[in-house]
Amino acid sequence: METKDRQNAWKRFMSIRGVGQVVTVTAGLIVLCIVFSMLSSSFYSERNVGNLLRQIAPILIIGIGQAYVLITGNIDLSIGSVVGMSCMISATLMTKGVAPFAATMITILICLGVGVLNGTLVAKCKVPPFIATLGTMTIARGVAQIVNNNYNTDAIGDSAQGFRNLFYYGKTLGLYNTIWIAVILFLAFDFLLGKTRTGRHIYAIGSNMEAAKLSGVNSVNTTVIVYVVSAFCACVVGLITCAIAGMGTMDAGNMYEMYAVAAAAIGGISTFGGEGLLVGTVVGASIWGVLQNGLQFAGAPVAIRNIVIGTIVVISVLLDVVIRKNKPRKKAKRVLPVQVGSAK
Amino acid sequence: MGEYLVEMDRICKSFPGVKALDDVSFRLKSGEVLALLGENGAGKSTLMNVLSGVYQKDEGEIRLFGKTVEDLNPKKAQELGIAIIHQEMNLCRHLSVAENIFLGREESRCGVLQRKDMNRRAAEILARLNLDIDPAEAVGNLAVSKQQMVEIAKALSTDARILIMDEPTSALTMSEIDELFQIIRRLKGDGCGIVYISHRLEELQNIADRVQIMRDGRYIASMNFADTTMDEIIANMVGREITEKFPRISCPRGEKILEVRNLNAGKMVRDINFDLFAGEIVGIAGLLGAGRTETTRAIFGADPKDSGQILLDGREVVIRRPIDAIRGGIMLVPEDRRKDGLCIKLSVQSNISLPNLDMLSNRFGVIDRKKEKKLSEKSIQDLNIKLPSSTVNVATLSGGNQQKVVVAKWLARNSRVVMFDEPTRGIDVAAKVEIYNLMNELKKQGIGVLFVSSEMPEILGISDRILVMCDGKITGEMEIGEASQDLILKYATTFDTKSGLPEAI
Ligand SMILES: Nc1ncnc2c1ncn2[C@@H]1O[C@H](COP(=O)(O)OP(=O)(O)OP(=O)(O)O)[C@@H](O)[C@H]1O
Ligand SMILES: [Mg+2]
Repeated sequence: METKDRQNAWKRFMSIRGVGQVVTVTAGLIVLCIVFSMLSSSFYSERNVGNLLRQIAPILIIGIGQAYVLITGNIDLSIGSVVGMSCMISATLMTKGVAPFAATMITILICLGVGVLNGTLVAKCKVPPFIATLGTMTIARGVAQIVNNNYNTDAIGDSAQGFRNLFYYGKTLGLYNTIWIAVILFLAFDFLLGKTRTGRHIYAIGSNMEAAKLSGVNSVNTTVIVYVVSAFCACVVGLITCAIAGMGTMDAGNMYEMYAVAAAAIGGISTFGGEGLLVGTVVGASIWGVLQNGLQFAGAPVAIRNIVIGTIVVISVLLDVVIRKNKPRKKAKRVLPVQVGSAK
Repeated sequence: MGEYLVEMDRICKSFPGVKALDDVSFRLKSGEVLALLGENGAGKSTLMNVLSGVYQKDEGEIRLFGKTVEDLNPKKAQELGIAIIHQEMNLCRHLSVAENIFLGREESRCGVLQRKDMNRRAAEILARLNLDIDPAEAVGNLAVSKQQMVEIAKALSTDARILIMDEPTSALTMSEIDELFQIIRRLKGDGCGIVYISHRLEELQNIADRVQIMRDGRYIASMNFADTTMDEIIANMVGREITEKFPRISCPRGEKILEVRNLNAGKMVRDINFDLFAGEIVGIAGLLGAGRTETTRAIFGADPKDSGQILLDGREVVIRRPIDAIRGGIMLVPEDRRKDGLCIKLSVQSNISLPNLDMLSNRFGVIDRKKEKKLSEKSIQDLNIKLPSSTVNVATLSGGNQQKVVVAKWLARNSRVVMFDEPTRGIDVAAKVEIYNLMNELKKQGIGVLFVSSEMPEILGISDRILVMCDGKITGEMEIGEASQDLILKYATTFDTKSGLPEAI
């Protein structure tokens, strides 16, 4: 009897929408970890695990932002450039003597502006998201280049040591701060998406814009919100990048928008919108990080790493498609249709 | 009559949590029209999807033209001579009519598409259907009823021996329905077998030779249409007798709730004026394309208004977006469930709660899951929606049950005015009565009910007052006592001299 209960609980768990893909990729993640620990004994060293988590964190953060946008059925290509912009603006301000706190705030404000611009272009002006964010991607990269006259900045200096510790080097309760930042952002945005009205509106416009509008959802505001979330996440990653290097680099965040798509898609966020759970992005980002780190440990050259990772992205999404397609064919047990409230 | 074209024996088919077909047998002879009947979710579409290879059967045997077939898939079924017109339209909106008709069977020579040839052949097929449609036109530009006719043309173009029509008429105009019936008779004469699924039982007398009835995924009965009565059919479908098909309750007419003054919105809403009182149901009749849907959408704020006033309880309300209308207590149950009514990737529960999230969340916008569950389960119970659990995807419900979800999401909150746009499309007889009862219940509570319908019997059966629209204007108004089908039709075709006839009659 007890096993049956447990079976039912498992079934109920699996029937929650989007859980299937998360379970599949988690299994994949575990397999990867086992393989890499067999290939290299130092993969599981305390030092490497800490580093690995710290590598995963930025990918997770931009993945969250992209996941938000993807769930509405849109895409944000400007993420990587916003990372670069954030890195350059904050570093330039700090080298010019602005206090780190003020520099951070100003940077965040400017980046949020990009989000508002993206959202407005897409939702209000009806520019296709691919084109709109392709435009802002180019503009934001241009801004990243122009803030310091086409040069990377100098070192942000000793006065910014607190800033660097806060975003990267420091530890709290035994974990690197970067990891904490990712955890906090994940919890906050997972709550927003899963538990609030705004979150529900995000799924609704991704599933059927027209039906959502007729249900009183303000599609323009909701779209602006997801792009702002995405820009905010990118901005935070930019600050982290700045903290790592201790200076601003103009090509920081190059290609990150694609890493973000990969993390979200591996984790089961539908690129057609309306579907996916944010936890999936955690697993997706982890797979990404583990592959990078593990292949490096195993001594694979960059070219091989790229090929392997690209293949894994396609396979994981393909796997999901195949599993979904085959589901109705499996024989289900004989269950009579439950008729709710049929008593007359 | 001739040989059996189709023999299906002891077919079983399950979906997660639902046994959609349980030991169902099915026969189709050549030269007959078989009406497949049953309540929403009875398994009619599923059975036909098994026959046409969309779904794989779990158990049972299928024989086509006397030969056993295994592993049917849509392509193989088509090659064997089975064509199906699905309940929900499956056209590529951006492709042309001809491209849609020949989708998957394009003619090419040395890999080059023979566009001219295809357009010519498409034109022939369309001409056979008496359809005035340009084969090169993009399908998305056509009216819904024309799209449905293209769907039918596509099925006919395969020269199938077995033709399955799953609710083909729910989006057609009267003349198109006549056209379709003629085609069906012609095909019957050619020895084709036709399966006809419909919830408009009054249509059957025109074409049906035999009926097969299903309930809860099981075979119930099969008989010659001539030997049976409508009451017997209905009793078999719902498992009990339905005494009153159009229940009517009388309430005293109360205060004026809604007043629409000189409303203009685009070409299809011109100078609309009407009042709506508490305790009455006002039906809006008219032909397809008369501007009824556009009028409700304009009132609701889904489309922009050019001018006009809307007064609720005597006070003017400004409605720019749907949310303004919802806040004021004006609801719209929209017409096209796939396009406007449902988020098909979301669960039934999320769909029902979507317009009601403001009531279900606290002031920080956090949704109370318990309240949400309670609300959706109450709605599901009230409308008797058949589903395994409220967390399943709406896309997995049968067509009629999806329609009930659309209605349910708007009835969960307090309102002053509810506008229904074709609320009973694709709903079975018993469920129709449930929706009418719901409308009556609203009427009793003093809520104004406005109700657009193309089905004459229900307009005459349920409304207390009828407005008739033609070409974007209200051309007639009558109390139910003086209303008749002829009078409605007369007003429905009162065109302005200069604007000419619209395409849909
Ligand atoms: N793809 C699917 N996944 C899960 N359940 C399904 C799926 N398709 C149908 N069902 C279930 O199978 C049952 C039969 O559905 P079906 O669509 O055959 O009903 P129907 O007789 O065509 O009803 P209607 O008149 O409303 O169209 C329903 O309970 C429905 O929820
Ligand atoms: Mg059906």
